[in-house]
Amino acid sequence: MCKHIKIFKCYFKLNLASALEYRASFFTQAFGMALSNSSFIFFWWVAFGQIGGTIAGYSFRDVLYIWAIASSGFGAAHILFANVTTLTKLIVTGELDTYLLQPCNVLMNILCAKTSLPAYGDFLYGFVIMFIFYSGNPMAWMWFLWGVLLCGLLITAVNLAAHTFSFYWGEASLIGQLATEFMINFSIYPEKIYAPAVRAIMYSLIPAGIAVHVPLRLFTRFSWGTALCALGGAILYGAACGFFFYKGLKRYESGNAIVTRL
Amino acid sequence: MPVIQTRSLTKVYRTRVKKEGLGASFRALFHAEWKAIQAVTDISLQVEAGEIVAFIGPNGAGKSTFIKMLCGILHPTGGELSVLGFSPVKERRNLALRIGTVFGQKSQLWLHLPALDSFTLLAAIYEISDSERRRRVAELSELFELKDFLQTPVRKLSLGQRIRCEVAASLLHNPELLFLDEPTIGLDVVVKQAIRELILRRNKEWGTTVFLTSHDPSDIEQLCRRAVVIDRGVIVLDTQVDKLKSDYLGEKRVEVRFTSPQPFLHIPGAEVTVEGGGLKAVLTVNTSSCPIGDIMGRLSAMGNVSDITINNPPMEEIIAGIFKREAAS
Repeated sequence: MCKHIKIFKCYFKLNLASALEYRASFFTQAFGMALSNSSFIFFWWVAFGQIGGTIAGYSFRDVLYIWAIASSGFGAAHILFANVTTLTKLIVTGELDTYLLQPCNVLMNILCAKTSLPAYGDFLYGFVIMFIFYSGNPMAWMWFLWGVLLCGLLITAVNLAAHTFSFYWGEASLIGQLATEFMINFSIYPEKIYAPAVRAIMYSLIPAGIAVHVPLRLFTRFSWGTALCALGGAILYGAACGFFFYKGLKRYESGNAIVTRL
Repeated sequence: MPVIQTRSLTKVYRTRVKKEGLGASFRALFHAEWKAIQAVTDISLQVEAGEIVAFIGPNGAGKSTFIKMLCGILHPTGGELSVLGFSPVKERRNLALRIGTVFGQKSQLWLHLPALDSFTLLAAIYEISDSERRRRVAELSELFELKDFLQTPVRKLSLGQRIRCEVAASLLHNPELLFLDEPTIGLDVVVKQAIRELILRRNKEWGTTVFLTSHDPSDIEQLCRRAVVIDRGVIVLDTQVDKLKSDYLGEKRVEVRFTSPQPFLHIPGAEVTVEGGGLKAVLTVNTSSCPIGDIMGRLSAMGNVSDITINNPPMEEIIAGIFKREAAS
C-alpha cells in the first residue's frame, strides 16, 4: 500500500512537472475551461431569473452546488487519472506493454500515468463557486468534498468500464466519450427533469445520481441510510469496473507500435 | 536451475477475416469469420544463468510474441514456462522486479522531462530507497556517460543518448535477466558499439543473463555466444554463435567505387557484380576461405579505388541461407 501511495505521489509530481514544461499552454487551457464553465452558470442564472423559484425542485443555489461537485469531481478525475480516456488507444495499439512490465498494480499504473491540463481549470472552478456561494457553511463544504471524491472515482470507473470493451470489440473510444457525456449531462441538471427510467440509469449504469445528486440531498436533508447506501454503491460500482478490466486484460494481444510517454 | 525454461510453449491469436469491399464489411457485421494464427508453436527452450542468447528470425517469425510471453505481457495458449523460477502469468509482479527490458520501439522515459525524473519514478515502482537510487543513478550515469544530458528533457536528446538512458533505466533495479528487443535499431555505428560494450560489461561484471533479438548481424557476432533462430513460430536452429559465424556469418559484402570505369573485374575468392558502367562493384566474399585483408590488398593495388564499404549480408539472407542448409541436411 505504502509503495503504491509513493508511486501515486511520484506520478502526480511528474505529470504536473510535465504539464508545466509548457506553462503558457497550461494556464491558457485551465483558464479557458473555467471560462467555458462560467457561461453555463450564466445560462442558469438567466433561466432562474426568467422562471423564478425552482426548476424541478432545484433552486439556483442547488444547481450551483451540483455544478461545483461535477466540475471539481470531473477535474479531479482528469488531473489524477486522465490516462483512462486513452485506454482504448493503449489497448488497440498494444501500448499496455510498458505498464505490464512494471512490478506494481497495473490498473493504478495505467490510470495515473497522464494528466489533463484543462482539468485543473475544472477542478478549481468548483472551489471558486463554493467560496462565492457557500463560504460560511461547513456542512456544505463537507458534502461537497465527499461529492468531489465520489464523483471523481465514479467518472473514472464509468470511463474505465466503457474503454474496457476495447479488449472485446477492438475499438470502444466512442462508448467512452458517450459514457462521459451522459455522466456530465446527468450531473449538471436537476435530476427530476429526467424520466423515472432515466433516473434508474442514473443510479446504476451511469451513477451520476450517487456522484452529484446524493451529496446535495445529504447536505439539505442528511440521513445515515442515504450516505451509507451511496458509499456502498460507489465502492461496489468501482470494484465491478475493476473486475471487468482485469477480465478483459487476459485478452490483451499487445502490438508493435512505436511508443513514447508524454 | 535454468533462468528461462519453456516446454511446448504455444501462442495462437484469433483474428477476424474480412473480404475486400464495403459489401463484405456489412456482411461481416452479422457473420464474422475468424482465423486462428499460430504465432508460436511448441517451443521448448532452456537458457542458463549468465548466457547471452541471440533470438533471431525474420519479421513476423514470433520473436516478440515469445519474449512477451516470457515477460508476462501475453498469456500462452499452451505449454509451460518458467522465468527465474516464476510463472510469468501468475507471478508477473514478482518476476518484473527481477527482469529488465528494453524494447527499441517502446520508451519508458517521459518525453517532456529529464531522464533523471523518470529514474525517480522507476525507483518508486521498483521499490528502491532514495539513498540507493542516488547511488545507482550515479553509478549508471558514470558507466553510460549520462552526466552531460541527465537533466535535459528526453525530447531534446539524440536517439543514441535516449537509448543509453533507456538501457540505464532498465538496469536501475539490477535485474538478473535482461530482455533486449532490437536495442540498437536506428543507431549509428559508434553508438551501437558503445551499447554493445555496455551490455557485455554488465554481463561480465554482474553475470546478467541477456536475451536479445536483433536484425543486425554485428550485434549477434559481438555480443552472443549462442543463437536461436525462429521462423513461423518454430525454432529452426539452436547453435553456438562461433558455428553460426563460420557457417553463415562469414560472408561479407564489399562495395567498391572507382574513379575510372572498371568494366571487367576479377578478384580471386570473390563473387563480383559490376554496376553503374563499371564505376561500382559489389564483391561477395566468404571470409573463411578468403580473408578480407587479401581482398582489400588487391583492391588497393588497382590504384583507382575511391571508396570501399564492408557490410554484413542482411539478416533475411542469413536466415534464408540457414533454411537452405537445414533443408538440404
